[in-house]
Amino acid sequence: MRPLTPKRITWICVGLAAILFVIVVFSLEVGASPISVTDVVKTLLRGAAAMFTGNWGTIPPSNKLIVFGLRLPRVALAVLVGAALSVSGASFQALLRNPLADPYVLGVSSGAALGAIFSLAWFPHFPWTMQLLAFVGALLTIAAVYFLGRRGGQLDSTTLLLAGIVAASFLSAIIMFLMTTLSGRDLRGMAFWLMGDLATPPALRLRFLFIVLLIAIGAIYTTASDLNLILTGEREAHHLGVNVARVKLVVYVGASLLTGLAVSVSGAIGYVGLLIPHVMRMFFGSDYRLLIPASALGGAIALALADTLARTIVAPVELPVGAMTAAIGAPVFIYLLRRRLT
Amino acid sequence: MRRATALNLFGAAMLLCGANSSSFALAQNAQERPKQPVRRVIDEVGRSVDVPAQVNRIVTLAPNLAEIIYALGAEDHLVGVSEYTDHPPAAKEKPSIGMPVNPSLEAIVGAKPDLVLATTSINLVKTVDTLARLGVPAYTTDPHTIEGTLRSITDIGDVIGSSHEATALVANLQARLDALQTKLKSEKPVRVLFVVWEQPLQSVGDNTFIADALHWAGAESAIHTKQNWPTISLEEVVKLNPDYIVYAENQMGDDSNGSSLPAGIRPAIARHLDELRNQPVWRDLSAVREGHIAIVDDEIQVPAPGLIDSIEQLARELHPAVFSPQSVSHVSSVPRTWHSIPSEAVSCVR
Repeated sequence: MRPLTPKRITWICVGLAAILFVIVVFSLEVGASPISVTDVVKTLLRGAAAMFTGNWGTIPPSNKLIVFGLRLPRVALAVLVGAALSVSGASFQALLRNPLADPYVLGVSSGAALGAIFSLAWFPHFPWTMQLLAFVGALLTIAAVYFLGRRGGQLDSTTLLLAGIVAASFLSAIIMFLMTTLSGRDLRGMAFWLMGDLATPPALRLRFLFIVLLIAIGAIYTTASDLNLILTGEREAHHLGVNVARVKLVVYVGASLLTGLAVSVSGAIGYVGLLIPHVMRMFFGSDYRLLIPASALGGAIALALADTLARTIVAPVELPVGAMTAAIGAPVFIYLLRRRLT
Repeated sequence: MRRATALNLFGAAMLLCGANSSSFALAQNAQERPKQPVRRVIDEVGRSVDVPAQVNRIVTLAPNLAEIIYALGAEDHLVGVSEYTDHPPAAKEKPSIGMPVNPSLEAIVGAKPDLVLATTSINLVKTVDTLARLGVPAYTTDPHTIEGTLRSITDIGDVIGSSHEATALVANLQARLDALQTKLKSEKPVRVLFVVWEQPLQSVGDNTFIADALHWAGAESAIHTKQNWPTISLEEVVKLNPDYIVYAENQMGDDSNGSSLPAGIRPAIARHLDELRNQPVWRDLSAVREGHIAIVDDEIQVPAPGLIDSIEQLARELHPAVFSPQSVSHVSSVPRTWHSIPSEAVSCVR
């Protein structure tokens, strides 16, 4: 592996950002409603011009509605959620020093989903309650899994993963119980939502999401060099002057926030958090100074692509994006696992 | 490293611009849309909807709504329907906008509707919210009873400018229901187990329109619960000991001759009986021992005009004595199917 220089980080990120840009443009061009590529490009260019001139009249209303009102917010949401899940996966993998850690496997997604369902069932009309309770659910679950995963004061890989699986199935049982007993109107879409659903959210929430995710990813990024040391061993990191407890707290809260927010807007989407950091490690090595931004961009690329497939392959019927990430992610993960073993 | 962070920030800021521009575009859109005359109506869930004075392009998000549009003779204006829309059969040819629970918003918008019809029994608030935000008028119906279904037909007729047709249709359906009620007045309601789903066994709760439809057919659900689609155990079925077991099945037999039942019913009953008699516990239920199985067209699960046909059919199965040939003339004095309401009959009902 070549030495990691700021220049190298920059170029890799620029490359990934370019791929992301291509994917975003591609997903703006395909969909259930047929609009020609030239019309999409025209709409985008005129839209960009209109942002400065304020003259929106040149764009046909239905094209504008589909490209700017539906496709763009949805792609943007996929990008944000993908980045959040992927960085959160990379963080949990470092925090727990376990390559199989990911919000979905550890039950954190289920915890966030339970929090979100609580808010839908009892506080459906309060703003931000869903995000807040999803965050609390994620935070509590990872804390519980962390403590259950210790054996003799040490974090044990196998015990930790088993604790995560147990937590996930226990929380799923509570979710099933709530969905069966509360036959409220808003819980009906839950089955889809639990499989991951990126159908258009309100614009305001997207902006809020963006800012908070940026802060959380930024906070985790500040600990990147320390995380590299912690990965070699907590005691060693401590001796090298790392404030291990503080780093772990930042990463723990940051990653829970990322998971909670992602789940609260899109349901539980698996495999992004598990797979993308591994793919990025394979390509670019495991230095967290590069791994965090690369995972963010990689997760964004992966989820934007997965959601585009989910809404187009059997259009106008839409598949839950979680089914799509699992259908692609599971075989890829097995492939990576076999490759590493041989 | 710092530069990389800055770059990330830049990329993210570009996305933010995208998000901003989309909300900007929407606000603009909301301003420029209402060029043609609109009127503000309140839908059945209390939302106010700006409906164009002349509705020309309708999208329905649930099968029953498409059926109502056909019954009102406005199918030429129907430009998009949900999956599972198969009644009347011609509706299958209309372009699909996806599943009722998670329709493709973009397919809806792409159909350029001036009115979208939704219903609380299957669509989600989220979908209607999003459409409203996009400036697409979405009218939601909320029927919980047969009366509510008739009211929805009237409301939809009013919104799409077919109130004349709606009044005639509703009057006709109401007359058939009244005739049925008169006929069944002295009959004791039959306690039935209505099977919504077999594995797991699911029935209907008190607040569903199926429970109400059962009342009109001279029956009542053996199960009383606030849950809409309760999952029930076999043990509970034994305890409830229903008089009849009712299955809803799709059978498009010819039932226009009034007294007899659709052709497919006898074999379907025989098949179910055969199945139940081969299962432990089920075969000991008194309803199964006596062959008390009824099959009703699955239209009974759809709050639309065809529902009344199903109610009449179920009533004939559950109360054969009342519908013996000499008393049939009374019911069939009102034209039975909405497909073929002769205009004289409509005016005579009105």
